[in-house]
Amino acid sequence: MNKIVKLALVLFAVSAIVAGVLGVVNELTYPVIDAQKQAKTAAAFASVLQADRFELIDFSNPDFPTVQTVHKAEGAGYVVTSTFSGAQGNITLAVGVDNDFKCTGISVIEHSETSGLGANAASTGEVGVNFRKQFVGQDESIALSNAGGSIDALTGATITSRAITEAVATSILAVESLS
Amino acid sequence: MNEKNERMIFDVTYQPQVRTVRDTQRIMLDVIIATLPIVGFGVYRFGWHALLLVVSSMAGCVFFEWAYRRLLKKSITIDDLSAAVTGLLLVMVLPPQTPVWMAVIGDFFAIVIVKQLYGGIGKNFLNPALAGRAFLTASYSGVLTVVMIDGVTSATPLGYLYGDSPMPYTLAQSFFGAIPGSIGEISSFAILAGAAYLIARKVIRWRIPLSVIGTVFAVSFLGGHAGYGRFEWALQNVCAGGVMFTGIFMATDYATSPVTISGQIIYGIGIGLLTMLIRYFGGYAEGCSYAILIMNLCTWAIDKACHRRQFGVSRSDFLAQKTAGKNAKKEAVS
Amino acid sequence: MNRKKQFTEGLITNNPVLVQQIGMCATMAITTTLFNGIGMGLSVLIILTCCNVVISAIRKIIPGEIRLAIFVVVIAGFVTIVDMLLKAFVPALSEALGVFIPLIVVNCIIIGRAEAFCQKMPVKDSFFDGIFQGLGYTCVLIVMCVVRELLGSGRFGGGLIDVANGFRFTLDGTGAGIQIFPESYGASIMTLPFGGFLTLGLLIAAMQYALKKAEDKKAKKAEEKKEAEK
Repeated sequence: MNKIVKLALVLFAVSAIVAGVLGVVNELTYPVIDAQKQAKTAAAFASVLQADRFELIDFSNPDFPTVQTVHKAEGAGYVVTSTFSGAQGNITLAVGVDNDFKCTGISVIEHSETSGLGANAASTGEVGVNFRKQFVGQDESIALSNAGGSIDALTGATITSRAITEAVATSILAVESLS
Repeated sequence: MNEKNERMIFDVTYQPQVRTVRDTQRIMLDVIIATLPIVGFGVYRFGWHALLLVVSSMAGCVFFEWAYRRLLKKSITIDDLSAAVTGLLLVMVLPPQTPVWMAVIGDFFAIVIVKQLYGGIGKNFLNPALAGRAFLTASYSGVLTVVMIDGVTSATPLGYLYGDSPMPYTLAQSFFGAIPGSIGEISSFAILAGAAYLIARKVIRWRIPLSVIGTVFAVSFLGGHAGYGRFEWALQNVCAGGVMFTGIFMATDYATSPVTISGQIIYGIGIGLLTMLIRYFGGYAEGCSYAILIMNLCTWAIDKACHRRQFGVSRSDFLAQKTAGKNAKKEAVS
Repeated sequence: MNRKKQFTEGLITNNPVLVQQIGMCATMAITTTLFNGIGMGLSVLIILTCCNVVISAIRKIIPGEIRLAIFVVVIAGFVTIVDMLLKAFVPALSEALGVFIPLIVVNCIIIGRAEAFCQKMPVKDSFFDGIFQGLGYTCVLIVMCVVRELLGSGRFGGGLIDVANGFRFTLDGTGAGIQIFPESYGASIMTLPFGGFLTLGLLIAAMQYALKKAEDKKAKKAEEKKEAEK
């Protein structure tokens, strides 16, 4: 019995010391990490909609299960982030929508698509930039060119392209449902 | 197409066995002869670049095989022509716009990584040409997942069949090869001519090709597709893609297909089923090369499961032996 | 203990990845750019050294029955600290390595060295063991990164070296690296997991071949010596 108590005490002491150290480090690094997270989201938002301030608004419509958050920018429009499944895994996408329900730009925040194919949707290279540019000015009837729309799919990544196109349409519809 | 039996095997025989003059070199030469109509048609359709690809890929494979074996001080085996055949078959399953350097990279992967690192001819567990193609498709998907003819990108017939827009090619066009596609896969007519030669020369047997093509036909006939008649759909599935070529020239590779008769049929049916699964449900329009690679990996298990019965042993004796073996194993475990 | 021997053991004869073959998961997953490789290697080196020192220092007061539990707590503590520091000060690296930094907790190199070395050895030896084993790990990562990045995308030093405005090193992962041949010629499968398996397999084979050759040579020499003595 005595031995078990001793073992427990030693383990507890070690854990307590480690926890204490972690607490201190967390206290020091948390503000820096938080600031970075916000800067990153802000950068993604700024790239899809030109506005100074984004305000998180309440959005819980069961018709749009993929929509994560909706931010409102006074006068400029809305930014919708949604998470949906691409070809390989989930894609998180920020879509800017102006007050006329036209897309003002898209930015892929997170994805795990095939490098060289679907991953081009997020790349900063020419292919990715040109792909994302196509969405600017589109409305909710947006579709890929092989389905009668005007969006050219990424080479060899029809599934990714279709998922993103559908997500953009969903985001526009979600904004329309607000008014 | 790699041959298991090396030349000397027929000389160390003590049973009254049939002697044959066929050896690896002759078999590989037969394969090259059988692909002549296919290469000819490919060059006619796609121009001299196709011929350049064939020649450089064959040269590349032979060079890599020679260089590897020379470097590791092993016997030089290039005169059995198996490396040349690998290079030839690799180009046959590549689209016509493939740059020469890309084919040579595929040669390197096929010969050095897939074939030689595992011990050379007859010891590889994947079909080298198909593994080379899979490597290239994964690496240069932007270039190789489309087909370009005269600088214009065309959707493949399978892309139409499983896509949203209607199929513009008739069955006759698919059969005779007036369709876009990989260099060696377009003309079912030329492929069948080559297959007839191979079967007549007894280089390959009909079992694997027939079970592959038959399964693809049966599954697509049963599965059907909106907007197509059942027969038309099934025949297009057989003729328009790579099933004909890979089923006849790739799936029959000696080293990577089962040796038992029932095993070969199971193997062929497996390839057909996987191909149709990938076509119906997969992300790629065409799946027969992946189907063959997957079944290559199962070959050892199929062979084990379909073990041949010994001659001169009655069925009851054979079964008794089997149970005795099983019991012995059990005892050894416990 | 002999430092020189410890050094060659860590880097060559008892290399954690190529000879002990531990810690392979992260090795195959993250070695896609030099930036990732060096970042991961140094993170492991720092965590390993800290853990080695702490575990060695408290080796006499930890009861044998719960030593593994204590090792894990100590390791997890250091890994979390490094994770937080990276997130705060090198966010690009933290993003590129993703889950593989927290996963260092279950990296066999660290718990393996704690169990096999530090719980018996004095602090000083454990410290150098951490440094040298960590260096051995880092070197393998660097070799793999260079090979995979070059063959996969024709680049050298992606994320780390910026040549757009003169040659400089970047720590925020924005450097494009030196393009040795156009990216379209690179076999992009080499930067996928398959390329990791292939490169690691070939590296291990080469290492084993070299070690065996060296051993044969040694044995031959010893034999010759024996003969000469006779």
